[in-house]
Amino acid sequence: MRIPCPYCGERDVQEFVYRGDASPVRPLGEDGFYEYVYLRRNSAGVMREHWYHAQGCRNWIEVQRNTQTHEILGSVFARRVAL
Amino acid sequence: MAKGLEISECQRFGLATVMLRKNANHAAVGAALQVAAPADPTWVASNELTMIGTGPGMWLALTETPSQHWSATLAERLAGVASVSDQSGGYVIFRIAGSSARTLLQRGAFIDLTPPAFGAGSVATTVIAHIGVIIWQIDDVPTFHVALFRSFAGSFREWLDTASVNLTF
Amino acid sequence: MSRLPTGGLIDRAKPLNFTFDGNVYRGFDGDTLASALIANDVKLIGRSFKYHRPRGVMTAGSEEPNALVTLGVGARAEPNTRATTVSLFEGLEAVSQNRWPSLALDVLAINQLASPIFVAGFYYKTFMWPAKFWEKLYEPLIRRAAGLGRASMLPDPDHYDRNHAFCELLIIGGGPAGLIAALLAGRAGLRVIIADEDRLLGGRLLSERHEIDGRPAAEWARMAAAELASMPNVTVLTRTTVFGVYDGREYGAVERVADHLPRATAGQPRQRLWKIVAKRALLASGAIERPLVFGGNDRPGVMTASAVSTYLNRFGVVAGRRAAVFTTSDSGWATAEDLIAAGVEVAAVVDSRTSRHAAAGRVQVAGAEVFLGAAIDDVRGRTARSVDVRMANGQSRRIAADLVAMAGGWNPSIGIGSNLGSRPVWSDTIHSFVLDSAPAGMTAIGAAAGRLSLSEALSSGATAAANVVADFGRSASPTAAPQCSDDPAAVTPLWHVATRKTKAFVDFQHDVTDDDITLAAREGFVSIEHLKRYTTLGMATDQGKTSQLNGHALLAEATGKTIAEAGTILSRPPYLPVAIGVFAGHHREAHFRPVRRTASHDWAVTQGASFVDAGQWKRAQWFARPGEQSWLETVNREVTTTRNGVGICDVSTLGKIDVHGADAAVLLDRLYVNMFSTLPIGKARYGLMLREDGLVMDDGTTTRFEEHRFFVTTTTANAGKIMQHIDYARQVLWPDLDVQATSVTEQWATYAVAGPLSRTLLQKMLPDLDLSNEGFPFMAVAEFRWNGMPARIFRLSFSGELAFEVSVPANLGDAFIRAAFDVGHDFDLVPYGTEALGVMRIEKGHPAGNELNGQTTAGDLGMARMLSKKKDFIGRVMAQRAGLVAADRPSLIGIKPIDRDARLRAGGHLLACDAASVAANDEGYVTSVAFSPTLGHSIGLALLKRGAARHGERIRVHDPVRGADIDIEVCDPVFVDPEGVRVRG
Repeated sequence: MRIPCPYCGERDVQEFVYRGDASPVRPLGEDGFYEYVYLRRNSAGVMREHWYHAQGCRNWIEVQRNTQTHEILGSVFARRVAL
Repeated sequence: MAKGLEISECQRFGLATVMLRKNANHAAVGAALQVAAPADPTWVASNELTMIGTGPGMWLALTETPSQHWSATLAERLAGVASVSDQSGGYVIFRIAGSSARTLLQRGAFIDLTPPAFGAGSVATTVIAHIGVIIWQIDDVPTFHVALFRSFAGSFREWLDTASVNLTF
Repeated sequence: MSRLPTGGLIDRAKPLNFTFDGNVYRGFDGDTLASALIANDVKLIGRSFKYHRPRGVMTAGSEEPNALVTLGVGARAEPNTRATTVSLFEGLEAVSQNRWPSLALDVLAINQLASPIFVAGFYYKTFMWPAKFWEKLYEPLIRRAAGLGRASMLPDPDHYDRNHAFCELLIIGGGPAGLIAALLAGRAGLRVIIADEDRLLGGRLLSERHEIDGRPAAEWARMAAAELASMPNVTVLTRTTVFGVYDGREYGAVERVADHLPRATAGQPRQRLWKIVAKRALLASGAIERPLVFGGNDRPGVMTASAVSTYLNRFGVVAGRRAAVFTTSDSGWATAEDLIAAGVEVAAVVDSRTSRHAAAGRVQVAGAEVFLGAAIDDVRGRTARSVDVRMANGQSRRIAADLVAMAGGWNPSIGIGSNLGSRPVWSDTIHSFVLDSAPAGMTAIGAAAGRLSLSEALSSGATAAANVVADFGRSASPTAAPQCSDDPAAVTPLWHVATRKTKAFVDFQHDVTDDDITLAAREGFVSIEHLKRYTTLGMATDQGKTSQLNGHALLAEATGKTIAEAGTILSRPPYLPVAIGVFAGHHREAHFRPVRRTASHDWAVTQGASFVDAGQWKRAQWFARPGEQSWLETVNREVTTTRNGVGICDVSTLGKIDVHGADAAVLLDRLYVNMFSTLPIGKARYGLMLREDGLVMDDGTTTRFEEHRFFVTTTTANAGKIMQHIDYARQVLWPDLDVQATSVTEQWATYAVAGPLSRTLLQKMLPDLDLSNEGFPFMAVAEFRWNGMPARIFRLSFSGELAFEVSVPANLGDAFIRAAFDVGHDFDLVPYGTEALGVMRIEKGHPAGNELNGQTTAGDLGMARMLSKKKDFIGRVMAQRAGLVAADRPSLIGIKPIDRDARLRAGGHLLACDAASVAANDEGYVTSVAFSPTLGHSIGLALLKRGAARHGERIRVHDPVRGADIDIEVCDPVFVDPEGVRVRG
């Protein structure tokens, strides 16, 4: 599998570390941590995922991937999304 | 060693990770160092300093004429603009040159090293033989520099030895 | 000899000697092992998997199910090698398989008589009872009786290379469609790779008598190959099998670099793995001829018609004296004419169709009988001697023939096309499955796309290439396919011949007959996937290349469905068997994974160090001295000398991270449970990190060198993980912070200098520093210069002794440790390894990896007080969950055996002395143990329910794996200097 890194270009999946669903947002207060830590949708279809380009530019990226076909629709730096 | 291949190890250099501060920009780094800090995986050299792009807002600064206070001086020049971490002792740099150099590296790296995808001025941070490497192409001989963590030097040399013998076939 | 006097693409000027089962034979350069064996009239080549039936060569390609041999001897012996794909070389040694005592006389052929036992699913039924017999009796028996070749069981002496390639167009197969596509795309300037498993490009053009552009087809193929080789933008990979398609338009291929050479030159890889990323791919892998299912169709002498033609036209060999052709397609007639043209007697052409083929007259003129609407229902003889023809009128005729060519129609080789889940669909035109959809970027062309005639193959290749060229914004000229001779390819399939007296095989390699299929259907295995597993159809090393469709057709017939309804299976990579060594490449044995060596490694070797793997690192475990009887004696000495004098240990492998920027302290406060914003400049502080779920992630010390310049250390094991965690925190969780972080693990060689004499030693080495307790107290840090270069000293202690850590740039690490020992001679300085380090940390009750095991909270480890209440940090909220703060959680304790001579072992479980040894009574477990030379007995750390409140209690360690239970005393985890006087001394 090849993953496009916004900085390095398309790279072999082995350069990356997978984290998972990019949609959970760390709660600001006391509530919502159980959901944040444990609950995931396990979507069939296009999903936003966090990958770390550990063997490249060391950036966390957000990849859009179809979990049914493994088709990758694009990626952006995760920090761009977070800001 | 295969024909058209020269491998040597750079003996003396100063190397530092330069990371852009939050509200600074590439131009400020360039102004502070008098060498452009590339925004993409390429390298630019000027005034005995090479800025090698390794990530967004992240470079390896390289000099082949380091003073003992080189990294501290670099940090002072970049104060308020970028953070500096000395890496002069942490890496080894191999120089791999000759008509077979690209073929050799292509056997190790799963990135397209063929022009125009990769040429003089290009940089890639990737993996060879499960070892993290930073490859930058110096000229069209072609000459490549490959930097890797010092602790891996022995294993990388073993891969180089095996792969350069295989080049003949 | 069955070699024709002329013809073929072999070099008769280059004879080659080879052996088969010890007999010496001669072939020519250009032969395959199969063609050379046929030329030498060797018909019997192997014994079948289950029934040990005699088998010969059936095909001329990689789909061969029967002619499997073990190639080479000793460690180089390669079992299950298809003789049809082995290029002949001087001195080749091959032996037959699955026979005892010899190929001609095989005792286990008696299995045939027991064949009612060996029907489909026999191992699910026959050997069910009693269960205990399975492991000891049935399985070994079956394994001996049924099987293919055997592995040498020796290490592979060859080595394997790897390459990576990127192209705009990958063409898989170098037959007519692939060649014309490569020519057009190459001429248009695309970056093209064309791969073919054969040693020559051309595919069927090398095996059949055609003309292209007015030239013999083989000549046209040779010229096309030469033109491709001359193009710098085209890479031609012969002897290369593309074995799989992967996500992201990635293809795996294996190039057989030296398999065709008598002996690899020193350093020459045997095979090379290619990983190819191709924007577009054309699957031009051709088609495989179907065998026909009739009685005795596995007898040596029965071959596919295309194989008969290939051996004739390409290799100049004929596999018999008198041939019978059994066909359901036009291509069978071409083989009959090939035989006649080569001067071979054709006794009969049996066509199951009733219409008279155009060649029938010509064949009859040459003396062959023609039977229409007829079938061969049995082949007689150990190797074929005669065939029984059931004629249209129902009567039977016996005809002498020692070569039977069967032409059952063609199956496109779409194997890798379904690797990513595209399900093939039935074509009523060619009566086989074709690709309806394909992996992204891939298109099938030529026979692989069901374009079976030569002209269709060429035009489909040309059209597809022109489309690809246009997609890349280039232009191809000319775009038309060349003119070629006519080549009708009609077929009316005949899935099996029901009237027969002997076994009719569907899967030759796994000995699956038509009866097995109908039996499976009767027993309810009516889905293709169940059929496959119950009968093992298509599960042999050939993966059913010749058998799959015939089997599915028979199942469809048995269940009253159409083949389209019954469907077919998907295939997984690899398309052909690939040696494991190819995937391993350079990375085996000592090179299995890269090794990281610290700066003092070479020095440690000279000191007699034994090394232990810590992840990829090699760490010195202990430094044995001459005369020491055991590692324990060595470690005890290292501990005692360090506690009473001074020792030095390389701790460079700890993770080191520079954290800089205006918000560095803010980030560290959020990462650690305790405060770092209050850390004074020039001081270090111990920190504990939680995961977001509230459990402990890692620990280490963090130093503040300047207001905005921190230096974090991690455990060796978690160095990479914590770097990733910090990057996640600063890039994703809090990208608004001004923080930069980078790993400097490799920059610094760090040495722990520990023991009461450590200050004296270092003061002598570093006279410019004030290392007095007043000038440099516990947890103080300083930057200085060593040999002119930046260096650091930390007053930290893991051993519990007065201790320092000194860091110098890693390229000076070797010089530093040698300098330390130059000075250290006066102090009896000893190097100590990770084992002594571990003993001392257990004596001090410091948690390490065994305690930071992903299941413990800060409270479990006695560090609940560290959890700051003044700030948020990762894991804070979840750490407050009831289950994580429950009073009866296991917490860290020390343990001592009541019998001081007893030896504790890690992993044992803790029980009350009088409690039964059952899980319900489990109160915790032992995490770390060591022999403490300081106390003179075994000690340990453990996690015990309410442990902190139970010091002094007597309990038991239960160790059902390694034996006797031991009574122990619960105590404080700090065994040595609990007041911490020494570290502050």
